[in-house]
Amino acid sequence: MGISVKNLDFGYGKARILHDITLQVPDGKFSVLLGKNGSGKSTLLKIIAGLLPYKNGEIRILENDLHSLKSSEAAKLIGYLPQFHVPAFPFTVEEVVLTGRASYIYAVPGRRDTEKRDEAIEKVGIGWLRHRPYTELSGGERQLVMIARLLAQEPKVILLDEPLSHLDLSNQIRFLALIRELIVSGLTVMAVLHDPNVAFMQADHFILIKNGTIRHLEKNENPWDEPVLRDLYEVPVKTIPFQQRTLVIPV
Amino acid sequence: MIISLFIGPSEVVGTYDILAWMKNLLIHSQELDHEKYEMVEAVVFNVRLPRVILVFLIGAALTVSGNSFQALFRNPLVSPDILGLSSGAAFGAALALVYPFLSLQITAFLFGLSAVGLSYFLAMTRRGVSTVSLILAGIIVSGIFTALLTILQFLTDPFKLQAIVHWTMGNLHNASWSKVKSSHIPIISGLIFLLVMRWRMNVIALGDEETRAVGLNPEREKILILLPAALIASSSVAVAGVIGMVGLAFPHMVRMMAGPDNRKTQPISIAFGGSLLLLVDNFSRTVTFFEIPIGIFTTLIGGPFFVYLLKTRQT
Repeated sequence: MGISVKNLDFGYGKARILHDITLQVPDGKFSVLLGKNGSGKSTLLKIIAGLLPYKNGEIRILENDLHSLKSSEAAKLIGYLPQFHVPAFPFTVEEVVLTGRASYIYAVPGRRDTEKRDEAIEKVGIGWLRHRPYTELSGGERQLVMIARLLAQEPKVILLDEPLSHLDLSNQIRFLALIRELIVSGLTVMAVLHDPNVAFMQADHFILIKNGTIRHLEKNENPWDEPVLRDLYEVPVKTIPFQQRTLVIPV
Repeated sequence: MIISLFIGPSEVVGTYDILAWMKNLLIHSQELDHEKYEMVEAVVFNVRLPRVILVFLIGAALTVSGNSFQALFRNPLVSPDILGLSSGAAFGAALALVYPFLSLQITAFLFGLSAVGLSYFLAMTRRGVSTVSLILAGIIVSGIFTALLTILQFLTDPFKLQAIVHWTMGNLHNASWSKVKSSHIPIISGLIFLLVMRWRMNVIALGDEETRAVGLNPEREKILILLPAALIASSSVAVAGVIGMVGLAFPHMVRMMAGPDNRKTQPISIAFGGSLLLLVDNFSRTVTFFEIPIGIFTTLIGGPFFVYLLKTRQT
């Protein structure tokens, strides 16, 4: 299994955010978390990324218990795309991408690290941005830089929190193709996506979250069924078939 | 650095004499009259040379410390003074001036460090240390130590008061080998440590979550930067008083030249900060008949510079 979570509970103070989450994310597949805003999807992703400490429950990443991993070891397994913000200093794109190598570096990056940085920049296709200050880029360009940083980190499992949010259509399509490439090369990708249509077109595996718990599917249910979506998003939706897939439209 | 040896208000020893002395040292001619020769040697070795070394160390320490604090707090308008460090160290030194059984250097150093510790402790919450609360805590701690210093000045006798006031203005005219001796170990070791940390400062400067995502613990890294940065800054305050604005303005000039990458700015800060403070020191002791305390000089130049930064900063 890529990721397995067992009986996870999480909350801030008295507010319970996640209760009794148990799920399995298959290795080498693109899995998507679907649910309403505030359902706990992003929190779950952050906990799996090791950014929020949890007490109750067990999380295993590629069979390694997350609690027993040192942070530098965890960073070589799991890559997380943070919700970006603008740093105070105008670091160049190259310098930002290079920081992805932190768990491999003791004091100063070496030749292998700059090679990995260049590979990542090329893979994401942002070579023309490499000497530009990160602070002057558009939201979409910054997103691509952070993705290159993530690839420079060389994780086995990639967690993405709404990775398409700042990308225009052409960059969205390029980005989804990149995810497909990573899956083919053997990585496991898990993402929070707001748009169920993109999810149904692209993903291999679906996890539905409602009010901090997993919304399990019955034997005869699919995530793109009208009643399931109505229950999950609590709004009336309609679905229409399209090339063996399903499109969701609001009514 | 060498030029600085020739500059200084001394009526007896002129630049020409020093040149003659150097020539003599190199080629061993016996033309000079002996009395003058010894005086030149004394001025160069016991007054000017320790001062040059001390000023260079302090300039490097304040610049590197300022640059480190700015990366650490992700705020280019932060300086060692922000954490209450200068006020803490100034109070410690004043205490040592009033009660001579306390060692000036050690007391200033301890109070500087504890001011930083106090700021850090006040800013600590269950979910880590945020930049805003740390800066606020620094302002509070700084205010407390300034108030304590004022009480001390109020209670002490006029002769000691003068010494305290002189010291808080920041001055280097009584630089000596003993001051170099007491400060060079903490300053040089702190500088070396911060040189090792220079690339990690790039990672930290991007943000806490960004740091954690790539496998570094931001709280741990922050302490590893904070401690040596506080050490070198308080050592400087201990030997030279408060030399304002250097920790703020110099790192900015370095970044204007070299960009924000700390792999470059840390070593450049040492060379540039040391040299520039030396230059400023040369000016401060030659532009008028008496020496202007260097702290006053740097603050007078640095104040307008700070306003300029505030007005031109894009974000």
